Amino acid sequence: MQVSANSMRSSHYITFNSDICIGCANCVKACPTKAIRLYKDNHACITNKCIRCGECLRVCPSGAISTTTYELEALQKDKVSIALVSPVLYSQFKGVMPNDILLALKKIGFHNAMDVSYYIEMYFYAVEEYLAENRITGRLPWPLISQVCPVVIKLIAYQFPDLLPHLMPIMRPLSHHAKETRERISREFMITRDAVTLYHITPCPAKIIPSMSSFSQEYSHVDRTMGIKDVYAQITGQLNKMKKTGIENLREESETQKISKSCLSWGISGGEIAGINSDKTLAVSGLRETITYLEKIEMGLFKDIEYIEFRTCPEGCIGGALTAVDKFIAKNTVLKMLRKFNPKPLIPRDKVVLPDKSGWGLSDITQDELQRIFGVYKEHISIEQLKEIEKILEQIHGKDCAACGAPDCRTFAEDVVMGKTELDDCIMLRKSEMDKILENKL
Amino acid sequence: MTAFKKSFNIKKRDFVRAGEASIKIQNILKLLNMDQKLIRRIAICGYEGEMNVVMHGGDGILTVEIDIEKIMLDIEDNGVGIEDIELAMQKGYSTATEEHREMGFGAGMGLPNMKANSDDFKIESEKGKGTHVHMEFIVSAD
Repeated sequence: MQVSANSMRSSHYITFNSDICIGCANCVKACPTKAIRLYKDNHACITNKCIRCGECLRVCPSGAISTTTYELEALQKDKVSIALVSPVLYSQFKGVMPNDILLALKKIGFHNAMDVSYYIEMYFYAVEEYLAENRITGRLPWPLISQVCPVVIKLIAYQFPDLLPHLMPIMRPLSHHAKETRERISREFMITRDAVTLYHITPCPAKIIPSMSSFSQEYSHVDRTMGIKDVYAQITGQLNKMKKTGIENLREESETQKISKSCLSWGISGGEIAGINSDKTLAVSGLRETITYLEKIEMGLFKDIEYIEFRTCPEGCIGGALTAVDKFIAKNTVLKMLRKFNPKPLIPRDKVVLPDKSGWGLSDITQDELQRIFGVYKEHISIEQLKEIEKILEQIHGKDCAACGAPDCRTFAEDVVMGKTELDDCIMLRKSEMDKILENKL
Repeated sequence: MTAFKKSFNIKKRDFVRAGEASIKIQNILKLLNMDQKLIRRIAICGYEGEMNVVMHGGDGILTVEIDIEKIMLDIEDNGVGIEDIELAMQKGYSTATEEHREMGFGAGMGLPNMKANSDDFKIESEKGKGTHVHMEFIVSAD
């Protein structure tokens, strides 16, 4: 097996443990961009086609695949450590107030834990403004696609580059939050920006840092990430401790942050479009469904829709691969919280004066950049090679068994034509050769 | 050097799977690093063609032929056929049933769309026998 260093780079955010791996190839088959190959001795390899959807984490039955994460000990070295909390975190603890969860985060070592409500509302207003403007100018093609899910951006840049102009060019709430928080803290405490370490507590494998791709580093305003499941135990422990001493007494000592309705429902599929004032919207969740809809948009459908919210995780971000609690239970927690508190918007729409373009929270990465970053790695073939692929497929006459380590026969044939693997690796071919030998002997 | 040729079957009234052939063609063209705008035009034509077969045609075959200078799409079916092609080519003219319209199809833009998005467009049809649409797309040098 020859693996060239350039074409097969491993992705640092995911670790394969070949000692635990049982070689089932579930991950190989589940990968939407066909980025994983399983070699001899269950040695897995991720190519640079990885869009970090986390599907492999989800389907692995043996726990051989894990993400890299920061340990809480890392906090002690930070001058100022701030936790920027994904709203999904609130859905993980039934019957616990969001502010108590933020307090628990502070108690386990963060200097502060911050809620993103305000930026989500700002985001909604900016999106509404942009939609209204686009109705008049028609600058971008309908339907506009939400930029919130990072996997969707990567998927589009990688597989549907001609849909890049459909991306809503508004900065995501998290990026906006991180950017402004860093500014504010460094100003308030008179420290350099580098002295502020921003942690993001996230359900999303695509947000995990460090990353191999220059893309994420350019794009992210956050310094470090922790999966929700990685800090879940500590938060639970802290919450239990707080309950013993009486949470009510503790509450006064910390400032309470106002959590808005749109923030609570942000993690559920449909939570984004619920906050946007337009009838012509759609919310799509799940990876296969997202791909199907993107294919349909590419074929010219859904022109009558203005805005589509895509989440590649089932049921939205609460279905993220780094959550601690099952998505349906988390959804219930959110819905009950909304019913119980029914929080009001923090900033009334009519009081928001949207400043000029620079203050819009327009995304700071351009479509050209996205395409440059992803286009470089793309591999292409010639018409001759295409014909060769068809020939190999006829020859193999396979059943997509994935014994060769590629997800299906077509991908295997592509790998052969591109010189990444050898035809010998196909056991179907070997079997037919064996059959021939046996026949001749008889 | 001969062109790459591949055929896909389209099944009558199979609304769920309509468009699958176009997606496969799209993926092949992407692998070949064709121009994105060209790919999109071909995808639209392929999809409209497939929809026509699914709605009005009997069973059909979608054939794609890829060469260095041009790409050809051929959609043949053994369906009801078109009586007045000139009329069928008019924007907004449609013979779609109520059922089709309820599903959101039948706006009468299929054939005009295909003509607008292809570099060469030919249609032959005989009532009761079927329809053959032939489209060509020029691959520009850069």
